Amino acid sequence: MLRPVKMSRVVVAGSKDVISPVVEKLHELRLLHIVNYNGSQAEFGMGKPIGKAKEYSEDLIKLRSFSRHLAIKSKAPEKTYPESQVLSEMDNLLNNVGADVTATFERITAIEADVKSKQDQINSLRPLAVLPLPLEAYYGYDSLATFVGTAASAVDADVAKVSPASEIYSGSAKNATIVAVFVPVEKAGEVSSVLAEHGFAEMSIPRLEGSVDSAIATLEGGIKSLEGEKVPLQKKLADMRKQYEDIMLATDEYLSVQTQKTEAPLRFAETANAFVIDGWVTSDQSGRLKSELESAAGGKVDVQVLDDKESDDLVEHGEDVPTKIDNPGLVKPYELITRLFAIPEYKEFDPSLLIFVFFPLMFGMILGDIGYGIMVLLVVLLLKRKFRTDGWKQLINIVIIADIWAIIFGFFFGEIFGPLGLWGRIMGQLPEAQIELLKGEGLYFGEGVFGSLGRLGPLGIFPMDRLATNAVLLLIGTSIFIGVIHCSVGSILGIKTELNYGEKKHAYFERLPVMLFQIFFALALLGLVMGQMILVIASGIVILVSIVMMVMGPEGPMGLAHVPFYVTNLVSYLRLLAIGLASVGLAYAGNQLAFFVVMPMLSGGATDSAEFSIAAIVIGVIVLTLVHFINLLLGILTPFMHPLRLHYVEMFTKFYSAHGGGVEYSPFGHVRKFLKA
Amino acid sequence: MAVVADAGVLYGLVAVGAGLATGLAGIGAGVGEQGIGAAVVGVVAEEPGFLGKGLFLMLLPETLIIFGLAVSLILMFAWTPFSGIVTP
Repeated sequence: MLRPVKMSRVVVAGSKDVISPVVEKLHELRLLHIVNYNGSQAEFGMGKPIGKAKEYSEDLIKLRSFSRHLAIKSKAPEKTYPESQVLSEMDNLLNNVGADVTATFERITAIEADVKSKQDQINSLRPLAVLPLPLEAYYGYDSLATFVGTAASAVDADVAKVSPASEIYSGSAKNATIVAVFVPVEKAGEVSSVLAEHGFAEMSIPRLEGSVDSAIATLEGGIKSLEGEKVPLQKKLADMRKQYEDIMLATDEYLSVQTQKTEAPLRFAETANAFVIDGWVTSDQSGRLKSELESAAGGKVDVQVLDDKESDDLVEHGEDVPTKIDNPGLVKPYELITRLFAIPEYKEFDPSLLIFVFFPLMFGMILGDIGYGIMVLLVVLLLKRKFRTDGWKQLINIVIIADIWAIIFGFFFGEIFGPLGLWGRIMGQLPEAQIELLKGEGLYFGEGVFGSLGRLGPLGIFPMDRLATNAVLLLIGTSIFIGVIHCSVGSILGIKTELNYGEKKHAYFERLPVMLFQIFFALALLGLVMGQMILVIASGIVILVSIVMMVMGPEGPMGLAHVPFYVTNLVSYLRLLAIGLASVGLAYAGNQLAFFVVMPMLSGGATDSAEFSIAAIVIGVIVLTLVHFINLLLGILTPFMHPLRLHYVEMFTKFYSAHGGGVEYSPFGHVRKFLKA
Repeated sequence: MAVVADAGVLYGLVAVGAGLATGLAGIGAGVGEQGIGAAVVGVVAEEPGFLGKGLFLMLLPETLIIFGLAVSLILMFAWTPFSGIVTP
């Protein structure tokens, strides 16, 4: 669980006439992680594709090009097809349907381009409406130069100066002056520079005829008819999408599988008559792989499973062993969090199990509210029905497991929608008078761990009030305590990882002192708080020893530069308390506002909930809903992201980053989605 | 020790200090997150799959607020250096 699955190195060598059945079998078994042959040995060449590899990949490209026109994306399968049906429909699909889709799509694109150009023409015509000229007057001259555009100031006088023979029209549009200047061609250069002084910007005039208004009307009519043509075409595409989506995805899958199989030999080493496949298989399956392959090839293949010693040598020489992380069902969703960071190397640890232990605990401690817990559960269960892809499923399962902890902590903290929420009504509460009485006697309620609300608990457990002074102090201690355990577990894994790589110096003088430092730093703090000077002094000595060890370590005195980081590591765990407090505070304020301000004010100063007027209750409930909705949104996001950070930054850095990411075990083969087995 | 200040005033000053600690730390974290946030939005526009990692990166500077808050909590709940010098 904590370690990746054990792997064995396998070499398959065989005669070329059995390459097809061998590939077929490998694909079906899905056991061998193929190591691509890199062409480094002179005796062996790269393999060549077998069978109709070219046809398959051409068909695949064809299919994908028109499935893009239909905006078909991979999704959770609703329907599966047998291979025979895919094969019988493939021809029709690729040729007739494909051509139809492409033609329709191209027509729509053409219409859109046409509409766009007509729209542009309309936009450039609009300003010309202020000039009295018909459109054909703007072009088609041999001896005249035409300038049409916007100008910042009146141009008439200056143009007349350089070119006495001129015709100038102007009119003012919304926020510019439109001018049309006609001058003899030989004056064009001078006039152009004069116009430039007036901030002239030329407009392009579409070559149309008739008055501006009628031209615009014609263009608009054109756009309308084009749009009218487009709508049924779009509907046609949508209908085709509905009709062919599933079979297209199945065909895509079929063709991908075929290309995978026919192109597999590209990853093998080949001689004139034989092929060799290198790869890794999980050790417990190596026997099965051997016998299955040998029977599939009728004895014309030799499968060698290397012993561990030989595989270790390969690893020493820098070959990447693929990592297969394997965890029981409950822990599986948490592999997502591991993957998001990096796949561990073969010799490293797979932290998914630890995440499964710590993450929900942290999530629960931060959220810690029965009401929110149940709401999150409902939301997530709704999402689960909607989002069916693997990634989403894992994410949702992570939240569900974590959410159960939030509900459990809700009982400890006595919160159902905040400390003032429904707890008192559901679980019971001491009457006001009795609380006062007890306070007067200096008993039980007050600024202690249980707070001043007088909430009663089930099974004789009194809920603690997270906002009370002593509870805050207790939670500070608990947070740091969790931090020390969390970091120490990380450090222990770090030490073992270094030992796995045979780096004793790193293990004992880099990883170990960090752990000692953090544990005894926390103990020293505890000693200070409890006033136990012996504990403080003893811890201080160990801290000194750990610092000396760091200096002796591989980084030398530079290692000391990390010391502040180890302290902040621990302080960082205070977020477990802090974020929880922020959300409790918001819920508390919202409840206070609704129950003790809004509702009493609107019912004329009534203090008993039985006397509240209907209007007051309605408005109060609106206030409550708003506050709790906002709080819940934050309540899903932050308790998720912050523990994530605690894992990635505080814990994983203790053992993970040392050797970088690994290669995930991805056996040659295919998991069927749309194809029936 | 001589009595030098009124308990109410001192408690008020401690509360102001606690507020400043969290508030200023919040501003600091905000300044830090500003750049990250802008960059993350840019990346997410190009590649929506980065959203999760982006959100996570945005959280990194939030440790600063935690430090501020820790100081505030200590001030409000755990620090009693004035017990000898205030009027009861």
